[in-house]
Amino acid sequence: MDSSGQAEASPASPTQPAGALRVHPLADRPGWQAAGEINLLTRSAWEETLHHLALSDEEACHLELSAITFVDVAGVSALAVTAQGLAEGRRIVLEEPPATLRRVLHMFWPDLPTVEVMAR
Amino acid sequence: MTASTQPFVHPALFYQGDKEYLHGTVPFIRDGLKAGEPVAVAVPGPNLAILKTALGEDAAHVKFLDMTEAGRNPGRIIPKVLRAFADSHRQTRVRIIGEPIWAGRSSVEYPACVQHEALINPAFQGRNVTILCPYDADHLDEQVLADAYETHPLVIADGRERPSPAYAPEHVVARYNQPLEQPAAAEELLFHVDRLPDARQFAVTHAARLGLSGIRLEDVALIVAELTANSVIHGGGFGTLRVWADGGQVVCEVRDHGHLDDPLAGRRPPARDQIGGRGLLLVHFLADLVRIHTSPDGTAVRCYISPH
Repeated sequence: MDSSGQAEASPASPTQPAGALRVHPLADRPGWQAAGEINLLTRSAWEETLHHLALSDEEACHLELSAITFVDVAGVSALAVTAQGLAEGRRIVLEEPPATLRRVLHMFWPDLPTVEVMAR
Repeated sequence: MTASTQPFVHPALFYQGDKEYLHGTVPFIRDGLKAGEPVAVAVPGPNLAILKTALGEDAAHVKFLDMTEAGRNPGRIIPKVLRAFADSHRQTRVRIIGEPIWAGRSSVEYPACVQHEALINPAFQGRNVTILCPYDADHLDEQVLADAYETHPLVIADGRERPSPAYAPEHVVARYNQPLEQPAAAEELLFHVDRLPDARQFAVTHAARLGLSGIRLEDVALIVAELTANSVIHGGGFGTLRVWADGGQVVCEVRDHGHLDDPLAGRRPPARDQIGGRGLLLVHFLADLVRIHTSPDGTAVRCYISPH
């Protein structure tokens, strides 16, 4: 079903802004802000962000997700797998994730100690 | 229960009336508790109630689930009810009573129900588990009772257990892999990879127009995203999405040119650290019913979503 590793996830084309994902480093804390959709089309960009996060030395990396409008189960899976692979003492702080992300995370990973959710 | 050489034991229990029901289930539960085996009971509400009363204090040691809720979509019973319980007690043998087919199941639900019963066998092959499946012989159709002989290697009737002479679960899966009749009218969209977000939005817009709201619209978005992504990755790169209303439910269907040749797809809980393998599982968790017809010529997956 899920295609991680085999999807030819191309960057979202500029003519399809509704399905695009934009990622920027946060200015005042370690981590990134992501906006748009995390779907099959944008999966590679999302996984690249998570890859950078995994390699970072920061104890807590923030993902500011208030402008994410959709996330599919593969996007949540990539996040959960990244969180499980973090070095001892590290964690991911999710800021204002969409309700769907929290639901799917809870459905498959009800206890992930390395993910902290900050709702507004 | 008769001693068996197979670790997995899967009898059908044919009962007539409460007395036979309790006679076939209460000793099964008590024997399990005495042997230190974890016991779960997932049956329709009225049968839950009589079992709890009959068990008295023993009921405190049994996990109870209302199958009409937990197993409303039969496609999620294996991962979410049966394996969820068995996998949380991997060190020991477990006993489960699972009653997925009751007299109120509709003819649209039934093919998915009987395929589920058949698929329990490969799903639990080699596992240290006993799953006892009660069948209400007073109220279920003859065909349902006959099918239970094909989906269960053991049958218990009139207090006697014996091997089923008709056990053939693969035949059941194939026989109920039936073409899905087309609705009289539906909203339709052809999609390919660049239109995946459009397809999702299309489904949500029409589902809202047909009466869904809130969390159920989120479910539609997740379901359609998984099914359409599947078509793009495994189903030939494109497909057809249809949305319509049926009774009080919204139906979303995705057709493509793929062939779903693994009948347990979407019914195996993946390892925690596995990236893939949750798409169809999520669809089964969220939908109230999933009907699938698959052949080398193509696959149709049809999801029914209730307003609540």
